[in-house]
Amino acid sequence: MQNDLTRRREDDGLSQGELADALDVTRQTINAIERDRYNPSLELAFKLAAHFDCSIEDIFEPEQDE
Amino acid sequence: MTAANTNSRLTRQRYRGFVYGIGGLAILGLLAGFVVDQHFAGALVYLLGAWIAGGIAVLAPMWSEATLQDERDWELHNRASGILIGISMVLGLSILPVLYVLEAGNHLEITGVVSGVVLTFSALFLLYGVCFGVAKRRI
Repeated sequence: MQNDLTRRREDDGLSQGELADALDVTRQTINAIERDRYNPSLELAFKLAAHFDCSIEDIFEPEQDE
Repeated sequence: MTAANTNSRLTRQRYRGFVYGIGGLAILGLLAGFVVDQHFAGALVYLLGAWIAGGIAVLAPMWSEATLQDERDWELHNRASGILIGISMVLGLSILPVLYVLEAGNHLEITGVVSGVVLTFSALFLLYGVCFGVAKRRI
């Protein structure tokens, strides 16, 4: 699932490790989400949205069927 | 913002290093025991290493303030387990019936080692069925 987590994180001046600490996950998980290699659980998606004070849809964009 | 990972002495990297390092030493100890004909000492090193590595693997995430494992690790574990079971099922279903047919046709005798492998596969699938049933009741 496409996302703009990298942009939002960098806009906040956070490293992957700092964001991971804030959300109680590992840095590797944040890295995997940013590289679109792992889709977070609903719980983590909500945590991300709450952290960036936006909705889940603002961060994640489901891939559209052609 | 929490700073658990930065304040904790045990990082994810160290945790994995301990578990894999001690586990590796345990296996090396067992093999070295065979090489130098000290089977008991080798087995003892393996026992201690396996217990210590296993203990750290299970208990450290419970006790450490740092996030050593998270949802992605469980996802990876589930995927790896699924791949293992899938491969085992393909191999089992394609090979075991052939062995039975060959034995029934007196072209092959299922001896001790092969019999052990067959029983191990069967036990694995039975155990998987039980675990699947338990998991299904919780979802």
